[in-house]
Amino acid sequence: MSQVNRISGGQIDRGTELKFRFNGKWMTGHPGDTLASALIANGQKLVGRSFKYHRPRGIFTAGPEEPNALVELRDKAHREPNTRATMVELFDGLWATSQNHRGSLEHDLLAVNDWFAPFLSAGFYYKTFMWPKAFWEKVYEPIIRSAAGLGRLSMQDDPDTYDKGFLHCDLLVIGSGPSGLTAALVAARSGARVILADEDFRMGGRLNSETLDLGGMPGSDWAAQAVSELSGMDNVRLMSRTAVYGAYDHGIYGALERCTDHLASSDGKPRQILWRIYSKRAVLAAGSTERPIAFANNDRPGLMLAGAVRSYVNRFGVTPAEDVAVFTNNDDGWRTAKDLAEKGVHVAAIIDTRDRAPLFSLPDARIHMGAAVRDTVGRKGMKSAILTNGQVIPCGALAVSGGWNPNVHLTCHQRGKPVWRDDICAFVPGNALPVGMVVAGAANGQMTLAAALNEGADAARKQLEELGVVAAEYDPPQAEDEPRECAAFWHLANDKKRAWLDLQNDVTVKDVKIANAEGYRSVELLKRYTTLGMATDQGKTSNIAGLAVLAEESGKTIPEVGTTIFRPPYTPVPIGALAGRSRGKDFRPYRLTPSHRWAEAHGASFVEVGNWLRAEWYTQPGEKGWRDSVDREARMTRQSVGICDVTTLGKIDIQGRDAGAFLDKVYSNTFSTLPVGKVRYGLMLREDGMCYDDGTTARLGDTHYVMTTTTANAVLVYRRLEFARQCLWPDMDVHLISVTDGWAQFAVAGPNSRALLRKIVDQEHDISNDAFPFMACGEITACGGVPARLFRISFSGELAYEIAVPSRYGNAMVAALMAAGQEFNAVPYGTEALGVMRIEKGHCTGNELNGQTTAHSIGLGKMVSQKKECIGNVLSQRHALIAEDVERLVGLRPVDRGRGLIAGSHFIAKGASKKMANDQGWITSVAYSPNLGHSIGLGFLKRGHERMGEIVRAVSPIHGTEMDVEIVSAHFVDPDGERLRG
Amino acid sequence: MADFTLTSEPPLAGTQTTRGSVRLSAPESLAIVSVALPLGQEKPACSAIESAFKLVFPDPGQSTVAQDGTRLVRTGPDQALLIFEWPTPDAESHVASKLKGKAYTTDQTDVWVALALEGPDCRAVLERICPIDLDPTAFAENDAARTMMEHLGVLIVSTGKDSFLLLSASSSARTFLHALETSMFNALGEGGA
Amino acid sequence: MLIDHPLLGPRDAAEFVYLGDACLIDRPDWTADDAMERFHDYGYVRDNPADEHRELWFHEQGDRSWLVVTRNVSTHEILRVELARDVALERGQDG
Repeated sequence: MSQVNRISGGQIDRGTELKFRFNGKWMTGHPGDTLASALIANGQKLVGRSFKYHRPRGIFTAGPEEPNALVELRDKAHREPNTRATMVELFDGLWATSQNHRGSLEHDLLAVNDWFAPFLSAGFYYKTFMWPKAFWEKVYEPIIRSAAGLGRLSMQDDPDTYDKGFLHCDLLVIGSGPSGLTAALVAARSGARVILADEDFRMGGRLNSETLDLGGMPGSDWAAQAVSELSGMDNVRLMSRTAVYGAYDHGIYGALERCTDHLASSDGKPRQILWRIYSKRAVLAAGSTERPIAFANNDRPGLMLAGAVRSYVNRFGVTPAEDVAVFTNNDDGWRTAKDLAEKGVHVAAIIDTRDRAPLFSLPDARIHMGAAVRDTVGRKGMKSAILTNGQVIPCGALAVSGGWNPNVHLTCHQRGKPVWRDDICAFVPGNALPVGMVVAGAANGQMTLAAALNEGADAARKQLEELGVVAAEYDPPQAEDEPRECAAFWHLANDKKRAWLDLQNDVTVKDVKIANAEGYRSVELLKRYTTLGMATDQGKTSNIAGLAVLAEESGKTIPEVGTTIFRPPYTPVPIGALAGRSRGKDFRPYRLTPSHRWAEAHGASFVEVGNWLRAEWYTQPGEKGWRDSVDREARMTRQSVGICDVTTLGKIDIQGRDAGAFLDKVYSNTFSTLPVGKVRYGLMLREDGMCYDDGTTARLGDTHYVMTTTTANAVLVYRRLEFARQCLWPDMDVHLISVTDGWAQFAVAGPNSRALLRKIVDQEHDISNDAFPFMACGEITACGGVPARLFRISFSGELAYEIAVPSRYGNAMVAALMAAGQEFNAVPYGTEALGVMRIEKGHCTGNELNGQTTAHSIGLGKMVSQKKECIGNVLSQRHALIAEDVERLVGLRPVDRGRGLIAGSHFIAKGASKKMANDQGWITSVAYSPNLGHSIGLGFLKRGHERMGEIVRAVSPIHGTEMDVEIVSAHFVDPDGERLRG
Repeated sequence: MADFTLTSEPPLAGTQTTRGSVRLSAPESLAIVSVALPLGQEKPACSAIESAFKLVFPDPGQSTVAQDGTRLVRTGPDQALLIFEWPTPDAESHVASKLKGKAYTTDQTDVWVALALEGPDCRAVLERICPIDLDPTAFAENDAARTMMEHLGVLIVSTGKDSFLLLSASSSARTFLHALETSMFNALGEGGA
Repeated sequence: MLIDHPLLGPRDAAEFVYLGDACLIDRPDWTADDAMERFHDYGYVRDNPADEHRELWFHEQGDRSWLVVTRNVSTHEILRVELARDVALERGQDG
């Protein structure tokens, strides 16, 4: 097919031919074309099927408001559904297919829906599929699911990449039409930092679509000149192909830049960038959107908005048909007729709803004043229009203008409400604008060119004044105030045939009437009940006429009916752009322990602990499953010595004259009395008396402590300490800084740990039991002078130490420890063996300190001092928390030693029925103890401390299990702590 | 002589990438020591710092540089980081001995990793990840800010007309490097802008 | 949102962590006879105003200052930002 509808002129490069495919058919266009203009050039009227009734549809607009011409773009994994052909810049090799039809576009099997239209009106879901109930899941839903939706996803990973970014400016100008350009020129010449953003690939807005003169030259030339001046200025950033889609708090705007959508390939670079623009001030010059008039069969391919026809004729050099009729309720529609005629396109008729004198006459054009189009003929392409006066106008296209709506969207993103202006029959921005925003031009209801140019410049001047910038002298070019009178004419009543309001969602005038009749009279309910204004176009062409019908039906005025709330985004933003780089392994940062590389090389399997990757076990040759590895690690550690990277525990350096007194306040027990060179276990409470976190804190000097926190709470504890320091006890001299990542810390545990460390710690440091007893700590050197810290603490219950070196030495240190331990058959152990040994020892972790437990319930009630001020001690004494029958920490073992306990099981007394009223507690942690040879567990049981030896039932309705367990001490191994002191 | 010796392996040692006009590298032998001012004794602490390092305690959001390149970056109301060349792991005791107990010091060298980004287009790289306005009119030479980039806490310091020093947590060094390298590719492409 | 940090100027709210009502600065006297009741109210009882609200924000990805931000929770307008430490010290002198 050749470009049958290509006419003269336009801002396209006719010297270059671009080939593209639509539904497999090769066509041609030129640089500067959109897919829509190229399809029109090639005479392709039918481009898609409607959402519900699968009606044949054509291109309706020339911009982002397009409801009909949604296509699937590109191929295979690159396929992107629901792209608006009017926004797709043509490139060589572009591949587009129409969507939402079963079978071919021309012979869509689902067009049968159109015959069932009487059953598919507003609310049909709620009415039709109610009965029989059993049909919903088995019959209705599968049918609806297969028929619903528009385009198809590729169902493959998106091969493109996306990015995000942050921009800053004094003035953000949104829209590069006449008012946006004068605003940008004034601000830029005044030296302000300006960002000018426009969704279009060509700046100039409507100037590119109109034939109006500016300062003695065509508007599009003036725009090009202005853009050229701006592009040469260092203080200006021009962002074409960039849609500002949302206005957020305090001058922040969201914008989507389409970087490579107009190229055949993005070469791995981001396809789109989601920008967060921090503006000190903004000028919204978003222009206006034309709206149609509703009448019977006003959805035929070939029916197009009058302004869009001008865009195609003037900007793209194409005409929708050889004969075009114009139907309007305003002066602006007449310009379409004039521009068509000037390009030699036959204007079949001008039909104006207003009973007034014609604006002008055209040879061969029949003029009908005080008339309207009441119906059209031509299922897959407009053939003729039938007028209210009975006349039939043969025409291949019908240009319709129902007036223009200012694009107020961004003015309403912070709950601003637009106000109605009768003179232009449209909503304009209200007073409650987003902070820092001024609106100019058509977006503000200034519908003529001269007014828009002046208001743009004025808006910039006003903003510059607020910024304290002296505005440069600037006179906008001379232009005319073209006639823009408009009459309120929304739809033609027709009870028999459907008159379309919302083309994207197939909502008709009748649907709105039904909704109103059925009580959905609030505009928000109308939207949800009928789907008016939903989906990709968000009702940009349909909302106001819908409101007008609702107003008419409910006996209200349009402003009384009001608009639905405008929310971001103004135009669709792909999920890929919102995700940006956060996908796959870049979804979030990951943290590695200092010994990670060594662990990788030695068979470690890793587990995510927050952002950390920790070794969970190290597989040895011949081990068949994780239990083999974990059992061996736990057993070998207790028999000889094991090494575990514990760097992930939070470490906070605490210094100051009041450091000890400060710790007394944040811990439930006392630290000011801790001698230098000693470590103490500390328990932190929440202010409500519940356990918060625990760990050891070492005193390295008079004014110097180092606290450890659990891995999970490192950030939270730090935050809380800063709160205590700044907000609760601001007159204390205390200073905090995290050193978690600074020290590689290794637990060296087991009877041979001292012998192993003797080979690592430099000889001048005495680590004998007398010189360095349990809970000692010190700053030492290791491996020939490397600064290190040694703590004699034990989580495993064995004779154990933790040794810390600057983390740059961590990978070398684990290798050195393993080499030094070779003679003892030292093993590295992971988090699983660590867990086994702490359960064997009855030590609590997050499973037990889960926010529901208290110091009293974990058996440490005596640690909560009542003799000093500390967080949580007052409320920890609430009766319900220390009552006799609260749950207490206990150890557990299955009566049948061959069975495995199940964490999460609840305790029910023997003989009692399984219901909540009989619940006596729950199991928090379980493990197989290789040292005892059976499953063990920890849990909380009412009066548990008094019930040693009792048998209760552990019930897990989730697992469907039930077993007898014996209540025992939580200290399964070395209950008297002889090993760790040895 | 010890039986075992430890080799230093900083996470990003040796990093060097160039794209277009922009070069990314990991400075070697950079030591970082935090200095906190005792409450009520701020003035003597600042004087001690000034005489020990010839550096004025910087205002919030700024850093000061001594002639030998030692830089003091304000990181909090009562805290700053001293950044200087020092290859051995005893930077903190060196600083502490010079301050003679007038301020609290903590070794931060291994808490952080450093990357230097330089070249005329470096701001185009950083605008993809940095929410701070880095325009010279808003973020002058020696200005500093702690902020968030790609979910990572980052301290950024303007070290020259078109050069920045970035510090982030050492445990997430690989994510940090990836964030910078991806930004360089995304902003500058294969050949550069 | 932007929070105009008293020392650092406007910074993106993403750098901050929100805690809640600034009344958390006014921690009760633990030695009071009715300490239990006072701590109960301190922990659990909050006003829920629709407009001006004094709240605590922590500049976690910044200078680690706790701030008292007076914010209109309906419009998000930020009316005043103070260092919480200054607020707390002033309270200490008053009390």
